[in-house]
Amino acid sequence: MKPLRIRNLKKKFKDTVAINGVNLEIEEGKITGIIGRSGSGKSTLLRMINRLIEPTEGTIEFNDIIITDIKGKALRKWRSECAMIFQQFNLVDRLDVLTNVLIGSLGRNYSFLNLFGYFSKEEKINALRNLNRFELTEKSLQRSGTLSGGQQQRVAIARALMQKPKILLADEPISSLDPKNSKRVMDDMLKINREDGITVICNLHSLEVAKKYCDRLIGLSEGEVVFDGKPNELTADISKKLYDLDDE
Amino acid sequence: MTNQEIITLHPKIFSPLWKRSPIKIIVSLLIFLYLIFSIKYFNISITDFINGLNKMKPILLSMITWNDFLSWNFNSILVGILQTLAMAFLGTIAASVISIPLGLLASRQVMKINLFRFIIRRFLDFIRGVDILIWALIFVRAFGLGPLSGVLAIFVADTGTLSKLYSEAADNSDNKQIEGLVSSGSSKLSTIRFGLIPQVIPIFISQSLYFFESNSRSAVILGIVGAGGIGLQLSERMKAQYWDQAFFIIIIILIMVALIDRLSRFLREKIIND
Amino acid sequence: MNEIILNSHNKSLIRKKRFWNISLIAIILIGIILSSIIIDINSSNLLNGIPRLGDYVSQILPSLESSNLFLSPKDQGSIAYWYFNLPKYLKLLFETFNMALLATIVGSTLALFLSFLAAKNTSPNSLVFFTIRRILEFFRGVPEIIFAILFVWVLGIGPLAGIIAMTLHTTGSLGKLFSEVHENSNNKPIDALKASGGNWLSEMKFGLLPQVLPNLISYVLLRFEINIRASTILGFVGAGGIGQELYLVINFNYYEEVSAIILLIILTVISIDLFSGYLRKNIIGVEND
Repeated sequence: MKPLRIRNLKKKFKDTVAINGVNLEIEEGKITGIIGRSGSGKSTLLRMINRLIEPTEGTIEFNDIIITDIKGKALRKWRSECAMIFQQFNLVDRLDVLTNVLIGSLGRNYSFLNLFGYFSKEEKINALRNLNRFELTEKSLQRSGTLSGGQQQRVAIARALMQKPKILLADEPISSLDPKNSKRVMDDMLKINREDGITVICNLHSLEVAKKYCDRLIGLSEGEVVFDGKPNELTADISKKLYDLDDE
Repeated sequence: MTNQEIITLHPKIFSPLWKRSPIKIIVSLLIFLYLIFSIKYFNISITDFINGLNKMKPILLSMITWNDFLSWNFNSILVGILQTLAMAFLGTIAASVISIPLGLLASRQVMKINLFRFIIRRFLDFIRGVDILIWALIFVRAFGLGPLSGVLAIFVADTGTLSKLYSEAADNSDNKQIEGLVSSGSSKLSTIRFGLIPQVIPIFISQSLYFFESNSRSAVILGIVGAGGIGLQLSERMKAQYWDQAFFIIIIILIMVALIDRLSRFLREKIIND
Repeated sequence: MNEIILNSHNKSLIRKKRFWNISLIAIILIGIILSSIIIDINSSNLLNGIPRLGDYVSQILPSLESSNLFLSPKDQGSIAYWYFNLPKYLKLLFETFNMALLATIVGSTLALFLSFLAAKNTSPNSLVFFTIRRILEFFRGVPEIIFAILFVWVLGIGPLAGIIAMTLHTTGSLGKLFSEVHENSNNKPIDALKASGGNWLSEMKFGLLPQVLPNLISYVLLRFEINIRASTILGFVGAGGIGQELYLVINFNYYEEVSAIILLIILTVISIDLFSGYLRKNIIGVEND
């Protein structure tokens, strides 16, 4: 078992403390949901795992590597093993879907020719297979900006899969989507977790969705962990504390 | 699905590069061929460059070693700066004033007679097609060396551009205010005064400031053809190979332009907020 | 009670506005007076110059006779006579055009690379950012013609000096413009590339460049228009092109050649402007489909 160990992680932005001493062990192969109000530090915590944000204190460890210490090539290798999808998909609108997906392979397998926009046949086949899992191959040559929100997020997941990641970080992946598309994206994340064994760490603002899809829930409030356990252990009291109002 | 099946299903994706993005390839090829052509056409050779660089070294060195600093003629430099600023100022004011009627005459709102409007617009195009330095040379012929020719060159060149801008602003201005006035029966002149002008005055002032900024740069170079100002001081020192003084003047010019930039931006922001 | 407060507030606003308006007019008037003194403009040298200007203009205008318009270059009054040196002019115009084209191509390429280092959101560190920014500002701030004088001295008379001068100025100008475009664009795709383990070059090529490319191309075309104008006059200091010939004919008072060359320059500049405007509309249009 290779858990992701987070020890005493802190992040301070000028005068505000966003994360105030978080200790966690994220299990491999499970879907872990992080829930809490906006401003509770969910996004900050997630982005420290792939070091898009640098922690002020504390360590993160995975597989005997101290993530918080590595630099340069090693850091890029970590980031390629730890894929991320975003609330606003972060695709390149003007590029076509296929190229957007191919971009995912750059961290893992980079060649000089890529800089000229040239990708190998193998990678293209790879990309098409990934798109096929989400039934999006017909859109391959369309500009990604023309797709619906739900479709774009699934392209983003296909891009993440190109990295052959061990962990998928999802930063509020369904916050910009309507209920039908939200269900589709969550179902797809569930699928790749069950079929590929990819660990999923997912920030969610909807308690209902979190309870439905996650194996384990972590509740954050004001930068601290106030709950860590199975979804059915979450009592009404703790929900209130997390959201400052009743269960959604 | 096997790899081969995937390839057959998506022919476009696996077609060769020259089929997939022909424009990119053609443009890159054209640029590459053009560069080869230019090297031959201009006789660009590495030896020329190296010789040039060798010649640059002593010049660059003398630019930064300042000897006899106190004996330099600071008076002429100061007068040059003041002349340049004065040239830019007068030229901008004169051009701004004349461009208002000219711009209105070139706009659809005011000049309804298409032929006259066409003529005026072509006249303005003509003025703009001639670079300001050429105007400066012509005015030096007529009015002699010195900043007067420079002021006139800035005046003429700017009139061409400013009038076009003003006429476009007038064309794009909101018709509703004007319609409101016209329907309430005011005369043509009043319509212009109360309908058109209040909308465009902030734009006028803002543009004039922007032009003053740009004119102070132009005024610098006009001196090189004899139209006075700091440009004249600079080119004289370069001809006499006083590279250190020339470098000093360049720095002064850069500082002056930067200060005017800041001032102009500050004032323009104030106007927008008022 | 409220009405009284409102009224006095209004009055003070009006007074404030009037104060600004009057001071503005006062400053302008003072400026005009000071400037006229500095430059020594007065009615006499202005009025004396105008007839001389009229003389000069009539001298450089061609003496065309309608009966002889289309006759051979030997016949006075024909267009061919006016433009007897046309082959030479065309050769020089071709040189001028190529000077501008080469300088634009090389300058924009350099500007592209440097602009990534000069934009806050893409620069690797703040020292690089600061240095490159200052270098770009220097190349942009020094007028091209000054560089041209320097390079004529170093490389000799001819178009090469002009090309290098324009290249440096283009690099500075476009470099700054490009970096501003980068700073105003969306960081999200860049983040995504970083998060997937891409290196800095990939971030730029796939994250930033697709967003900004139409804008950049538009600026490059505009720059080409400006460079065409510049290349027509850099010849004044010996940097090649038609400017050198124009300077010559003005100084030697080959009057009718002056108007011949100026007309050619105007036609060239206008056609390039139109062509470039057309390209800009269509390229941006295509990209935005």
